[in-house]
Amino acid sequence: MDKLAKQLRADAEQIDVTISDELDRRIIASLRAVEPVEQLPHAGRPPLFWWASTLTGVAAAIGVIAIVNWQALDEPVSATPVNFVAAVPTIDLKAESAMLTDPLQEELDKLQSDLKKAEEKVKRDIGL
Amino acid sequence: MTDELQLINAAKAGSADAFCGLAELYRERLLRFLLTRCASFADAEDALQDTMIAAFRYIHSYDSRWRFSTWLYRIAIRNAAKLRGQDAVDIGDLRDEENDPLQQCIADSETENLWVSARRTLTDEVFTAMWLRYAEDMSVNDISTTLDRSVSWTKVNLMRGRRALETQMNSAANQSEAYG
Repeated sequence: MDKLAKQLRADAEQIDVTISDELDRRIIASLRAVEPVEQLPHAGRPPLFWWASTLTGVAAAIGVIAIVNWQALDEPVSATPVNFVAAVPTIDLKAESAMLTDPLQEELDKLQSDLKKAEEKVKRDIGL
Repeated sequence: MTDELQLINAAKAGSADAFCGLAELYRERLLRFLLTRCASFADAEDALQDTMIAAFRYIHSYDSRWRFSTWLYRIAIRNAAKLRGQDAVDIGDLRDEENDPLQQCIADSETENLWVSARRTLTDEVFTAMWLRYAEDMSVNDISTTLDRSVSWTKVNLMRGRRALETQMNSAANQSEAYG
């Protein structure tokens, strides 16, 4: 035992406690006045409860499966296949691309004419 | 079969006398511990009485795989906490010697009792762990069961408590040397 442990043990023993006769009598009297509480066996659910809940669960599952299948049978099944390609609306891709490139084409034409004018001006200036 | 186990079995069968025999084995140790946890001597006595009554009432819930003292201390700690909750007294503030039941029970000495310093510097749980280890000689496993804490928590906090008290003890020794 190290120094601290010895000191702690000694200091604990320094705490002087005596049980007074009055406290002793009080404790004994109160112990005689009470009785141990019997530990009740764990109150589990009756076996019938488990059977009932299992059967209810199984019945509910069967019911859901039956309803889903019955609704599926009610829906008419078409004999002819649907033409999905015809059903999808066609987009006029050509018109769209023309709409998109028109402003660019205009801009290109303007730039080309500016370039031509600039070339002519340069030729004039140098006397060609 | 040990005497203690015989008494426990007799108490389980409903014998108040047998439980009185058990109470006699532990009451002083418990009162000493409760004095460190309660605001007054009367509170410590009440806590002791409540602990004994609760232990006897619920003796059937005692599992003989545990030490009886471990189980009893668990009840005592709960009762002391309950009493303190009612009175809302912070034990750490009981530095007035006239009102402190612990200081009243300690004979005058040159150096301060380490448990008084411990109560001032350590938290309630660490103090209890230190008390169970060094005053009651309980194993770390039993302390962790009593405090409902993990073994690693108990080990770490016992080490912290030791470090704090070693500092206290050394400074007290230096002071007494300085005063000659």
